[in-house]
Amino acid sequence: MEITRRDLLKLAGVGLLGAIAFQGCRIPERELRVESPVALPEDLVTGRDNWYATLCQQCGAGCGILVRVMEGRAKKVEGNPDHPLNRGKTCARGQAAVQALYHPDRLATPLLRGQPVDWEAAVAELASQIRQNRGRVFLATNPLRGHVAAVAQAFVQSAGGTLMAYEPLEDTVLRAAVKRLSGQDVLPDYDIANARTVFSFGAGWLETWGSPVRWSWAYGVFRQGRPGERGMFIHADPRFSLTAANADLWLPVRPGAEGVLALAVAYVLIEQGMASRDAADRLTAGRGLAALAAYQPEVVAARVGVPPQRIREAATLFGARRPSVAMVGGSALAHTNGLFTAMAVLSLNALVDSVGRDGGVRFNPPPPLGLPSIPAAPFARWRQALEEMRAGRVGLLIVRGANLSYGLPAEAAEALPGVPFRVFIGPIADDTAQGCDLLLPEADPLEAWGTDAPEPGPGFATLTFQQPVVRPFRQGMSFGDVLLEAGRAAGLTLPWANMQEAVRDGARRLFALGRGSVRAGDEAAFFTGVLQRGGWWDTQERGQGTLRPEPAPATPPAPRFAGEEGEFPFHLIPFTPLGIYDGRGAPLPWLQGLPDGTTTVAWQTWVEIHPAQAEPLGIREGDWVEVISPRGSIRALAYLHPAIPQGVVAVPVGFGHVGMGRWAHRRGSNVFSILAPLTDTETGALAWAATRVRLRRLGQRQRVPKFEGVVLPLQLEERPIIPVVKEA
Amino acid sequence: MGLGKRIRIVFLLGGGMGASLLGLAFLVLVAPRVVAHYSWSVERLFRQAPAQPIAFSHKTHAGDAQIPCLFCHRGAAVEEAAGIPSLQECMFCHRLIVGTTEAQQAEIRKVIEAFGKERPVQWVRVFRLPDHARFVHEAHIRAGFTCADCHGAVETMREVRQVHRSLKMGDCVGCHRQHGAPTDCATCHY
Repeated sequence: MEITRRDLLKLAGVGLLGAIAFQGCRIPERELRVESPVALPEDLVTGRDNWYATLCQQCGAGCGILVRVMEGRAKKVEGNPDHPLNRGKTCARGQAAVQALYHPDRLATPLLRGQPVDWEAAVAELASQIRQNRGRVFLATNPLRGHVAAVAQAFVQSAGGTLMAYEPLEDTVLRAAVKRLSGQDVLPDYDIANARTVFSFGAGWLETWGSPVRWSWAYGVFRQGRPGERGMFIHADPRFSLTAANADLWLPVRPGAEGVLALAVAYVLIEQGMASRDAADRLTAGRGLAALAAYQPEVVAARVGVPPQRIREAATLFGARRPSVAMVGGSALAHTNGLFTAMAVLSLNALVDSVGRDGGVRFNPPPPLGLPSIPAAPFARWRQALEEMRAGRVGLLIVRGANLSYGLPAEAAEALPGVPFRVFIGPIADDTAQGCDLLLPEADPLEAWGTDAPEPGPGFATLTFQQPVVRPFRQGMSFGDVLLEAGRAAGLTLPWANMQEAVRDGARRLFALGRGSVRAGDEAAFFTGVLQRGGWWDTQERGQGTLRPEPAPATPPAPRFAGEEGEFPFHLIPFTPLGIYDGRGAPLPWLQGLPDGTTTVAWQTWVEIHPAQAEPLGIREGDWVEVISPRGSIRALAYLHPAIPQGVVAVPVGFGHVGMGRWAHRRGSNVFSILAPLTDTETGALAWAATRVRLRRLGQRQRVPKFEGVVLPLQLEERPIIPVVKEA
Repeated sequence: MGLGKRIRIVFLLGGGMGASLLGLAFLVLVAPRVVAHYSWSVERLFRQAPAQPIAFSHKTHAGDAQIPCLFCHRGAAVEEAAGIPSLQECMFCHRLIVGTTEAQQAEIRKVIEAFGKERPVQWVRVFRLPDHARFVHEAHIRAGFTCADCHGAVETMREVRQVHRSLKMGDCVGCHRQHGAPTDCATCHY
């Protein structure tokens, strides 16, 4: 037999493969490890899962979730199918809640001036600070709802001082507009599932804005859940977002001209006789179409940046395919004429007669049990507050979930050192925690008690219950418990001893109402019932209200921008990426690694620019560029985006932290640091889309970390490999 | 002789040597494993009790002290896994029992120390089913089998070894046939 070289190689290959294959038969050592836990409850069945209903707190929407727990460890988050807000769905941020629970950079113990102390000493220190600073306490939080809001309010009332909520991208303008047109201080819900046409202005309602899980579910029904009916979706946005990409008709409106576009639509509706008589009279102050002459599509087309026939087409669809609903938010309201825009868009709902109707705008009733809701204070109010801190009029600052040093970097850097004693409460030390005197580790939401009345809610009274699904993984204490415990030690009058008691009390009062989704024979069974179902809701208690348009201004209020067009040729549109949102998701690698919806970029700050405008600047994809505003500059990777309008560049927010754990620290750039402090003229909200910029190529290049194109979606080279972190 | 042919011979020689080396390697390294893989009687000769972090003796506990299996492995009758007892459970007795010989005392001290420091103990598994097979203890105990039917006379072993059964698929299926238990794929592979 002759063995050719080919046969020989084959044989050698088989031998080698065999050697490898059988070597692989050995069982890896780690698979042979079994553990004796230190303690195991006797009724706990190993290998069998328990599902606990609780509240998702990864963003402000307030979805109900179920958490899978095995052997006392939270393993997986799913949507609670019973919960009326999200109906069993979750988003990427909700899924990442388990990663927040196990984050290796969670504070392990309280730190007093950098030294670890035990909780007893930390609470004693905080209590003594409260006693010394009665009347000069400042509590800065994220927007609060439910029982924790009641606790914070009682704490500040008793201690004497100020309670203010902060959010970098506040909803002040929308709230003010709803209040002006309806007289109620609530956020409306939009019945997208039953609408035939949705016209949204700037609001990324399929991404991060409002209640995205709820509305994404509704979008599914709107598009394909009704036999023979496919909803028509029109979106006006200067950036080609994921929401814009889903629209049938995308109108790349000029930044700040969204309100004018809305009134141009109103003009067509009235002209075509499609508008409700009463609403049209209010909008035109009874003077008829002549009052809106300044908004005729042909007149405003150049200012809006959309051809008049397109405006007419959109308006006709909106007026004819009813029920139709108009929503506004995001960058559309982040201009100096934001309130005008918000009122103009909300008025469209009155014109097509969709307020309070199925498929239109619905109001939510006030929170159950008279629980307070503390929305974010406007930027102008925060500047004032920071000025007071700088001047030394605040004795004790307690910060929780309000990352002032990130959203207001320049102002906070000047003001915060003026406060003699600063306390940070949070799971991971963030930008604002740097330089704080006392750092208190906060319990993860999955380890804490609480309630939440979602806003925007599902249109009826809802109170979601939050219960601990695991025992504390770190020595954390929930925010409410810190206030109650330290407050009590300082001799304050507070309504409850701890958050668990607060929640129990809430259940007791709901039981006394004798209505709603949970019925039980006694209080204890009722409490178990609401915890099992994840909350209580009463579909009969619905919100009421109308939207009454105000007369449109004779001349459209022009937006002001920071920076001359000659020197700064681009509008800067910051936007919230799907995963890390306004920066809250930045500590979690799952969210950092979540590709952006349109560009697929992850892990880095990028700037979207139109190819035709990048070319004369010599900018190619992957060039590091400096984004320069009148206020400062940041570095970003250039991403050439053929769908972004010329004259606009877009940069994601949420990157560029100092602190916030190993995966957020100094990753990317903070776009808030270059925003000019312009505000909406009437509400004082930050006009965060009103800054103009120019770009400069820096000379370095890097491959853009993106999943689009030919890169295998296995492991991006630019993306760090996240190691498993083991406790010592 | 052309250059091409000469090169071919060199290749063949080199290749032949390589092949014989590989063949030798196969015989020495792989063949025993192959045999052991398929023959339980050969394999059990090679099988050793793995080294454990604490020299726990089943002979002392289950044999001499006659503690029933289910006292510690309390999951066996009610759930999928028999379960490894928690350190707290060890301490039920070892709060009082410190051991008679010095060697015993040293081992018991390890348990007390791990419990005090709240450190779980990492044991090395002795009985392991092949991948993709599931086994529910509860069903087998309920059907009237004893622990020893699969695990052997553990109460006589100072260090537990797997010598009684192979616990491979043929073993499971054979026993299922013998006792009229289902042999559908999905009985174990689910």
